[in-house]
Amino acid sequence: MDTAIQKKSIFRNYRTIDLVPVVIILFLLLILPALAPTHVQGIMVKFLIYAIFAISYDFVFGYAGLLSLGHAAFFGTGGYVAAVLSLHWENNLFWLGMPLGVILAAIIAAVFGLIALRVSGTYFLLLTFALAQLLYSVSWNVRWLNSSGMQGIANISLPGLGFAFEWNNLRFFYFALVIFGICLYLLKRITDSPFGHALVGIREGDIRMRVLGYNVWFFKYLAYIISGTFAGVAGVLFAYFNRFISPAQFSLGTSFLPMVMAIIGGRGTLYGAVIGAAIVVFVEYFASLFTPERWPLILGAIFVVSIMYFREGVGVFLVKNWKKVSGANDSTTN
Amino acid sequence: MTALRIEKLTKYFGGVEVLKDISFSVEQGDRLAIIGPNGAGKTTLFNMINGQLPITSGRIYFFDREITKLPAHQRVHMGISRSFQIISLLLNLSVWENTLLTYHGFKPSRFHIFRNYNIYKDIFDKAGKVLKIAGLWEKRNKRVGLLSYGEQRRLEIILSMVSEPRLLLLDEPSNGLTSEEAADVIEMINLLGKEVTVLIVAHDMDLVFGVAEKINVLYYGELLASGKPEEIRSDQRVREIYMGSEEHIDNA
Amino acid sequence: MDFFLSNLLNGISYGMILFLIAAGMSIVMGVMGITNLAHGALYMVGAYVGWTVAVKLGLDFWLAAVAGGIAGGLIGLLMERVFLKQLYKQVNEQVLLTYGFVYILTNICIWIWGGRYRLQFTAPYIFGSVDLGDFSFPLTRIVITGLGFIIAASLWYLQNKTRIGAIVRAGMDDKEMIQGLGINLNVVVMLVFFIASFIAGFAGVIGAQLLSTYPGIGLDVLLQALVVIIVGGVGSIQGALLGGLLIGLIDTFGKALFPGLAMFTIYLAMIVVLLFKPSGLLGRKV
Repeated sequence: MDTAIQKKSIFRNYRTIDLVPVVIILFLLLILPALAPTHVQGIMVKFLIYAIFAISYDFVFGYAGLLSLGHAAFFGTGGYVAAVLSLHWENNLFWLGMPLGVILAAIIAAVFGLIALRVSGTYFLLLTFALAQLLYSVSWNVRWLNSSGMQGIANISLPGLGFAFEWNNLRFFYFALVIFGICLYLLKRITDSPFGHALVGIREGDIRMRVLGYNVWFFKYLAYIISGTFAGVAGVLFAYFNRFISPAQFSLGTSFLPMVMAIIGGRGTLYGAVIGAAIVVFVEYFASLFTPERWPLILGAIFVVSIMYFREGVGVFLVKNWKKVSGANDSTTN
Repeated sequence: MTALRIEKLTKYFGGVEVLKDISFSVEQGDRLAIIGPNGAGKTTLFNMINGQLPITSGRIYFFDREITKLPAHQRVHMGISRSFQIISLLLNLSVWENTLLTYHGFKPSRFHIFRNYNIYKDIFDKAGKVLKIAGLWEKRNKRVGLLSYGEQRRLEIILSMVSEPRLLLLDEPSNGLTSEEAADVIEMINLLGKEVTVLIVAHDMDLVFGVAEKINVLYYGELLASGKPEEIRSDQRVREIYMGSEEHIDNA
Repeated sequence: MDFFLSNLLNGISYGMILFLIAAGMSIVMGVMGITNLAHGALYMVGAYVGWTVAVKLGLDFWLAAVAGGIAGGLIGLLMERVFLKQLYKQVNEQVLLTYGFVYILTNICIWIWGGRYRLQFTAPYIFGSVDLGDFSFPLTRIVITGLGFIIAASLWYLQNKTRIGAIVRAGMDDKEMIQGLGINLNVVVMLVFFIASFIAGFAGVIGAQLLSTYPGIGLDVLLQALVVIIVGGVGSIQGALLGGLLIGLIDTFGKALFPGLAMFTIYLAMIVVLLFKPSGLLGRKV
């Protein structure tokens, strides 16, 4: 019966040659940052933050098939919670800021989900957009949410861990890496569960799933909340790292980022979204070195090409070609 | 036991009355065929029994419990299952995945968020057996969209049975099949036990007379006739409707 | 009174620009089910092209407006023919693709015209004001309002009184039937898309007289258009006009009376409309 078991993990074949990419990735993630200059370390932190944001979005879009245009709502909420704690209560305790930020993001997702999931298709798109815009205008106008004399909240203290600790980019990187690892692990467990598989089924045909016995609305709702929660995690990290947050973190532009990443990298695979985040963040960085003006153009072109010709995404494409190049013989049909 | 009771079921689409005051009941274990010309409302009736379409007025009782307003997914858990006239399988997913999703659908495991798909060995076993019976085991990794029509149809029907439903609704189960394939379908249905009540919508008279113990004839949304196959076969009004296929009825 | 009248005119003229932006996008949504997020970018392209013609080349303003429209129309057509057409019936992909174009078009504009924050663009002879008794109204706004009504009327006529319009409206409800009638859906789609994009580009030139023009305007205008479409209704000229005027007035009076609240009220209105009448005040179901 073993051949019947379809392990969806990308680590299915434990061949020696497969260790090569793993080693490379581990090197990139663990060793390289220690060797890189400070500002590159900062870029890598940025990558991690957006990677969390991207996988949260991939979960709701790549897996459940819900195209949301307002994910910045949850990202921004997480960030603003951390920021407000710092601004009004001079509290920078990470063990308070992160849970609170995440919980509030989840609550916002629960409320917004109730509203947005009453409709579907284009209307869902528009409604998620409108809901995020609501938060955008709140953050813009409510003085309590802004440092005096400016838009947004500045001078957010670096996270306090409860013991004496000096932050620098490298340390923040490893810190964020741990959080990223936890998020990725949790989301992977969820997508590998019957619930996760059901979401894919719902994406492929929610009418069929309904007559199979699945409470489709409820599953979508849960997916939406879970997704928003992880987006909140990314938002909290963003605020702590950049030490600044503004209404822009609630804007349409921010909502689009994880979407672009998930699509370029390969939606519905989690690791694709991570690769997409890497591509976007590092293309921006390298482009800024050589053609700072043109990077959105390059990104836009990659994005368009991904949608038209690389439907499965660059990430998945690479993985598949790795299998080919390294001589894997598996019986997957994709 | 009365498995299903339909009381004065009416459905309007906009201003058009598609079903008019339909009333009938089905005893547990019955094999009821619902026939009638195109547009008579047969699929609409099924859509209302399994909850996909809201009714305009009337009531539906399942084993004496009213299910008129119950959402479709909950009717599955009460024991109602359905196959569709147009293949409803998830075409982009594999045979295996479609099968597993079907199994989890009627089990509480569908809510499990942290347990890995692979630990449900009993479901794997059952799914494997079912696919072997259907002759689709070798093709289990193939995308359903790539199967032949006959294979898709076979899978669709067999998946409608895996939840061991108390009421099975089969909508044109032999649609588009060759006569051998259709004969297989008849055999599959006849192998079902008496705990299952079967309702079939069909045009294929071989299927109807091969399986049905009772026939309801729907005509322009109304229940025109109801009775045993021989009665229906000789019913004058029914013959008139099926003018063109009169020979077909005689030969069945 | 002065306050009321000048804000009224401001609100209406701003609303007219919103209408012009939203009308095309709304029709495309209604006819083809495509939410073209790049519609705002077409507005932007039109504005920049119009600037080149009117200011750089010193040509006639109306020529510039038409040039802007043509630029918008051609790019829109390109998007549709080369890209969107391949993604037939894949709604999500189409929306995503149009977003990619926002990036691309915005950056191309920066490339060609520079990233200046504000493009100076006002047609010389529209300056000046009209005096009516004690009140003096800027001519620009009056012209824009008038233009808006004329275009609205023409579009409405096209939609409701011509054969093409009938085909388009029918196509919104049932594409298969249209094709069954032997009408070349491709041509209809191209025409609709071109006209919608043309108006966007045209609006860019007109709008530049009232609003500042800068590279990021592609997304900002999109935001406005989305709000107008949601409130006014998808797929109808009347809806876009009503939505545009409503939003224009709420925004103008709101900014004058309760500066912080205006934005919030508009988005709240959007949500309420989406929940209770998703197709908008005057829209058709998408």
